[in-house]
Amino acid sequence: MNTPVRRIVWALLAGFLALILATTWIQAVAGPGYRDDPRNPRLSAWRVGRERGAIITDDAVVIGHSDPNPEDPQTFTRVYPTIDRYAHTVGYVSVLFGSRGLERTRERDLVSHRDSTISGVLNAVLGGDPRPRGLRLTFDDALQQAAAEALQGSRGSIIALDPATGAVLASVSTPGFDPNSLIGSDAGPAGKALEEDPDIPLLHRTIATTYPPGSTFKVITTAAALETGIAGPATEFADPEALELPGTSSTIHNYDDGLCGDGESVTLAEAFVLSCNTTFAALGMQVGAEALTETAEAFGFNQEIPYDLPVLASSMPEAADFYDDPAATAQNALGQRDVRATPIQMALVAAAVANEGNIMIPYVVGDVFTHDGKIESETEPVLWRRAISPATAAILSDLMEQVVLSGTGHNAAVPGIRVAGKTGTAEVTGASPHVWFIGFAPVDPEPGERQIALAIVLEDGGPAGETASGGSVAAPIAAKLFETYLK
Amino acid sequence: MTRNTEAVFILAGTVLASVGVAMVQFAGGGWLDADVALTFISFALAFGALHISFRLWAPNANPLILPIATFLAAIGSIEVFRLDPDLAALQRWWLVLAGVAGGSLVWLLRSSGVAVLRRYRYLFLASAMVLLLLPLLPDAWPIHGATVNGSRLWVRIDLPFGVRALSFQPGEIAKVLLTVFLASYLADRSEAMSTVSRKFGPFSIPEPRHLGPVMVAAGVAFAVLVYQRDLGASLLLFGLFIGMLYAATGRGFYLGAGIVLTTAAGVAAYTMFSHVRVRISAWIDPFADYTGAGYQTAQGLFAMGSGSLTGSGLGLGRPDLIPAAATDFMFAAVAEELGLAGSIAVITAYAFLVAVGFGIALRSRDRFRKYLAAGLTILIGLQSFLIIAGIVRLFPLTGITLPFMSYGGSSLLASALIAALLGRISHEERT
Repeated sequence: MNTPVRRIVWALLAGFLALILATTWIQAVAGPGYRDDPRNPRLSAWRVGRERGAIITDDAVVIGHSDPNPEDPQTFTRVYPTIDRYAHTVGYVSVLFGSRGLERTRERDLVSHRDSTISGVLNAVLGGDPRPRGLRLTFDDALQQAAAEALQGSRGSIIALDPATGAVLASVSTPGFDPNSLIGSDAGPAGKALEEDPDIPLLHRTIATTYPPGSTFKVITTAAALETGIAGPATEFADPEALELPGTSSTIHNYDDGLCGDGESVTLAEAFVLSCNTTFAALGMQVGAEALTETAEAFGFNQEIPYDLPVLASSMPEAADFYDDPAATAQNALGQRDVRATPIQMALVAAAVANEGNIMIPYVVGDVFTHDGKIESETEPVLWRRAISPATAAILSDLMEQVVLSGTGHNAAVPGIRVAGKTGTAEVTGASPHVWFIGFAPVDPEPGERQIALAIVLEDGGPAGETASGGSVAAPIAAKLFETYLK
Repeated sequence: MTRNTEAVFILAGTVLASVGVAMVQFAGGGWLDADVALTFISFALAFGALHISFRLWAPNANPLILPIATFLAAIGSIEVFRLDPDLAALQRWWLVLAGVAGGSLVWLLRSSGVAVLRRYRYLFLASAMVLLLLPLLPDAWPIHGATVNGSRLWVRIDLPFGVRALSFQPGEIAKVLLTVFLASYLADRSEAMSTVSRKFGPFSIPEPRHLGPVMVAAGVAFAVLVYQRDLGASLLLFGLFIGMLYAATGRGFYLGAGIVLTTAAGVAAYTMFSHVRVRISAWIDPFADYTGAGYQTAQGLFAMGSGSLTGSGLGLGRPDLIPAAATDFMFAAVAEELGLAGSIAVITAYAFLVAVGFGIALRSRDRFRKYLAAGLTILIGLQSFLIIAGIVRLFPLTGITLPFMSYGGSSLLASALIAALLGRISHEERT
């Protein structure tokens, strides 16, 4: 009567043998695959605990540094003393949420190479410096603080750069978040709250989302007219109260539903300064889909802008999609309908006008320095594209200066500085408008003088809500930032 | 002299547990403190109690049971300490309680032997049923059921004066009682069940009245599955019934019927319960729903893969990242910190324990003792097999504890009682 018991013994022991084989498979054969799987939280826990180099602004304000842990000096804690001010650009390394921002894209510079990987050992044998490198960003902390303050309480974004080099001077996206709260393995609830926040604080609005550019797009429509020779600043247009769009029952109105000029005729320059929709809808239809799309693409639309972080491409519909639709052409010419732009794209439009039509590759990492503080590599300004001719840029510059002197952008004026700009109030169906200001200052700087171009956008009208316009909400912020940086 | 050898091995296991706890403390940057001494004391008390009870009332007991149990408990409690020192403090109390309970059981059986248990088999059956149903008590009662991770297998007793509630898993004790009942029932009936049969076409099947226990087995297992949503316990109980029926009768019919019923119940459960479907899909591909159903299995695989051959070292891995590491996923935690070497040592220890248990069953002349030893061994063997197989994906994941190793008072208590019973049975065969 022992035979069945013996059979059970063999069955169970065969089962245990199978367990040993399966365990051996998982730990010895498939093990490295599981160990190195990017989803394995041990990897990020290890990565988070490594020493990383400092990240500082151009004026030496420390954004991020690593402190050795008191209990275990082999591991480090990343600290971001500036809290949320640079959170989107610099990012974080987190046990639970991976990494993002420069902490992700510049990881190779930032981490220590003092480890037992083959490349680490090789590097040590060859006498390389295993200590982590630091990053000096091109940010101006005073400007960044002023920009962050201006957007406090609103959803929006500000990006400012040097038109001559492409160096980014400030880049703010609000609402912000505290990267310090996302680092540890206890960050689950904090991260979940951020992910579920309807205001999407983790979204890097400067580069990772697009808005209809509204009237700021008139710079591009005007550029298309100037480049093709279809119109000049003095070209006269009819001045109707409303413009009927051919083939549809809808009409185009001006911002205040009034006339642009005297009701008879208006020049392109006057229409630009007062941002007249009727005039630009008519101009857009004259310029045509092909020239509009071509000019927008010359400024960088439909392409990924090269930057230290991945940038969402701004979109302009293909000419083939709307060349036979004058209504669509008119609305696209006003920066509405199918046109979408990132704030960084619109800042580059302003920068192109400031820089004789040339767009430099934007960058935020000014130089990489060694642990001893020596500069290891420095970013050289590189031309990205010639958007428009210097002549066109000169005319646009003049028109944009008039906008601030006597038009919709007068709130951007700073006494003693020649400011140029263009406002935008992008209509959003069923919500308050997104308000824009793009511009630069000073116009025609002296050699050696600082210059700054910027784009400002506040979602849903910012604090002013449905009564907001680019001129009333965004332009005053521009004045404050020009003053901060240039005075 | 065998008892002295046993004492030496128990001492070695006790030292292993204490040194392991010390190593965890060093790895965490700490220095020796009371935990090392308390671990030593709790192991000495628990396994000392069992050892002394063997010495006094079961002097001829098999000397391998307690050393293997000490080794497994040592590895388990080190890992529990590594995961959560507070949990380890509770575990020490449970360990002492379990050891004393096991020793007391040996003392209870000192004169009449395990045969006395035969007499109370229907009491055991009734108690087991009540224990299995206890978790269904409504939440409002002072003694009530509790749902943990979707399974209702806990009973919680709310103590007055705001003392923290006492909880236990009655199913752990119920399965030992059921084993005693079945061994007793089969000792009386197995003769008839294995010889009397009816021809049914080409098949020879047992008398229908002898099929009763199989039906009861299937019924209990399925009821546990349905009402307590506990895949692991129902499989374990069902496997126990079928295994014991087969051991007692030697009729392949029971195995066949068991496999058919298991498959049928499995298919029924799969179509009826979404939580079973989720388990199955997480078994087939844990990475398909990585953040949801497959998360725990995937974390186990990451832990085991990261442990590789020799492990991260005690206190140097991150088994805390695995959900339920101290209970269901204890094996993955050990595999991470002790590597493949530790994993194989643990599996081998269970295989060794199973071999010892079945050796006792094979040598038993008395039917009841034979079936009881076989049943208790099937319990330990099948339970450790099922949970490890779930972690290494040989089988769908079932939420059951690893005997002697996982955190949990009820589980430790049941394991200690099984060790005590096996010891006493082996003693009775040699005298």
